[in-house]
Formats: sequence, structure tokens, C-alpha cells
Amino acid sequence: MRIRCPYCGERDNGEFSYLGDAAPTRPDGMGAEAAAMHDYVYLRENRAGAHRELWYHGSGCRAWLVVTRDTRTHAIDDVSPARDVARTRRTGEAA
Amino acid sequence: MSDAVTTSASAPRSAGTPRSAWAPRSAWAGFAQAGRHGRPQGEAGVHLTLREGVGLATVIAADGQEASLGRILTDRLGWSLPEIGAAHLVGEQGLIWSGPGQWLAIAETRAGLHGLAQALHGVAAVTDQSDARALVRVSGPDARRALSKGVAIDLHPRAFRAGQVAITAIAHVGAQIWQRDEAPSYDLAVARSFAGSVWTWLSHACAEFGCAVNREPER
Repeated sequence: MRIRCPYCGERDNGEFSYLGDAAPTRPDGMGAEAAAMHDYVYLRENRAGAHRELWYHGSGCRAWLVVTRDTRTHAIDDVSPARDVARTRRTGEAA
Repeated sequence: MSDAVTTSASAPRSAGTPRSAWAPRSAWAGFAQAGRHGRPQGEAGVHLTLREGVGLATVIAADGQEASLGRILTDRLGWSLPEIGAAHLVGEQGLIWSGPGQWLAIAETRAGLHGLAQALHGVAAVTDQSDARALVRVSGPDARRALSKGVAIDLHPRAFRAGQVAITAIAHVGAQIWQRDEAPSYDLAVARSFAGSVWTWLSHACAEFGCAVNREPER
């Protein structure tokens, strides 16, 4: 499998490490309910199909990426810098 | 060998006083030896030049300050900020892309980067890396073939040309490689503490082509 890093181009997946589902967002601060924290830490969908997930290009540009990968075929539809995804998410919330 | 890069422990010392443990020491000392290695017949296919005394510093743009950083570099130093994957060098001096919002500034000597931190105050973090990297120039007719054995990126001219830089791994060691010219010649930078491992790989990779090792500047 190869991942097309938006900064470095197509690279072998050995250059990356996998974190997991990109969907969960950390509950806000110390006020978070224990149940919400539990869900954030432990609960994950186990999708068969398109999955948005976090990868780290540790042997390359050291950027975090959000990769949309089909878990059945490993076909990758989209790779975006996680920084941009987080920024969009923040401004989306603000709007 | 008379111009060995390092003095081995058993070699006689010319001066009576022992060398200070704090004396500057090449990143390649103890690993690389100047001279001809590998295939002895014919012209050397690969030339390895150990680059020493080079000034290096990382430049990391403050959030949202990339445009100001580019402007200041151009106005004060006449440098241009390389786009993603590019190295902008004039002679031995300039900037090399090293990640989103990050560059490696390089000059022939450490003094060449003097004043960079002050000039970029407020728009970028500048950190001296002159002693943090081991730097080697790989040139000669078989330079591309030798390097290709270790990197998982395509070094063919259709994919990688002069003025381009890649951050990748060689023999599991993080490496930054930029192509200097279309000869082709490349500069390879690795973390100094990995110099030994990288040298073991590099010298073996170059052996079949015949390899000439020298130092720059000559001392």
C-alpha cells in the first residue's frame, strides 16, 4: 500500500504509522462526563468501507494526515493534512 | 592511510599534549576514511565528499507568518522561501524545504548563518543544527544507482530533479536528500548520531561502483 502524502507525494506505507479513526473529538476539558470520556477513548466503529483515519508521516515530513481508505480494498480516496481538517472543524463549529 | 579522517586510538600523536575531549570532531570521524574504496579498477563510479564545518539551522515559521517570513528573507538576505519539496540554493547557501512550514538554512560555514535568528525574530524559530547533522555529497556517474539501492523514492529524472528535496528513510534512518545538479549530485543529511549506521550502508552500496571518499574543505 502507498499513501500519497500531500507534501511528499506517493510514499511506501512503511514511512507512516497508523493512529486510527479520525472521527472522535476529545470532550472539552475537566468538565467532561466520565461516560463521554469513555466513549471517546474506547468506542470505535468497525467499518467495512470508507474510513477516515489518522496517519503520521514519521519517516517523511512528520505531518499528521487524515486518510480516507476503503477498509475492504485499501483503496485510498483522499489524503488531507490533519491540520487543515482540524482548522475546518474549528471554523465550522465557530460559524 | 595518511589523510584518514580520524586518528585511530593506536595511531601515534604528533604533539606531546593529549587532544582535548572538547576538540571539534567530524560527524564522520571514526567511520569514514578518505581514499579509494570498493572496486579498485577504473574510474570511481561514486564520489563521496564529507562536508564539514557547514552552517545549518532549522527555520520554522510561526503560525500564519509564512508570508512575512518569505518577505523578510527576500528583503534582508536575498533568499527565496522554497515551495514544498524544493531547495533554493545559490552556490552552497540557501534554504531547503524540510516539512510543512519548515526549512533547513544552509551556508558554507556556521558564520554564514550569523544574524539569521535576529532577522527572523517574531516570524520564525531558528535553531542551529550545524553539529546535529552529518552531511555527505554523493556524486559521480553511479551516484543515482548507488542511492537508489537505499531509498524507496524514485530518483529517476522524471520524478526527482536538481532543486528538489525529499525527506525519507535510508536503511531505516531518517534522511533528507536534495539534488544539487543534473550530473547528478546529491547532498544527504542524517542525524549525526546515525552517521555510523548510514556510513556502513553507504560504503557498501557504493563499493561495487568503486568509491572515492574525500573531505571538504580539505584539512
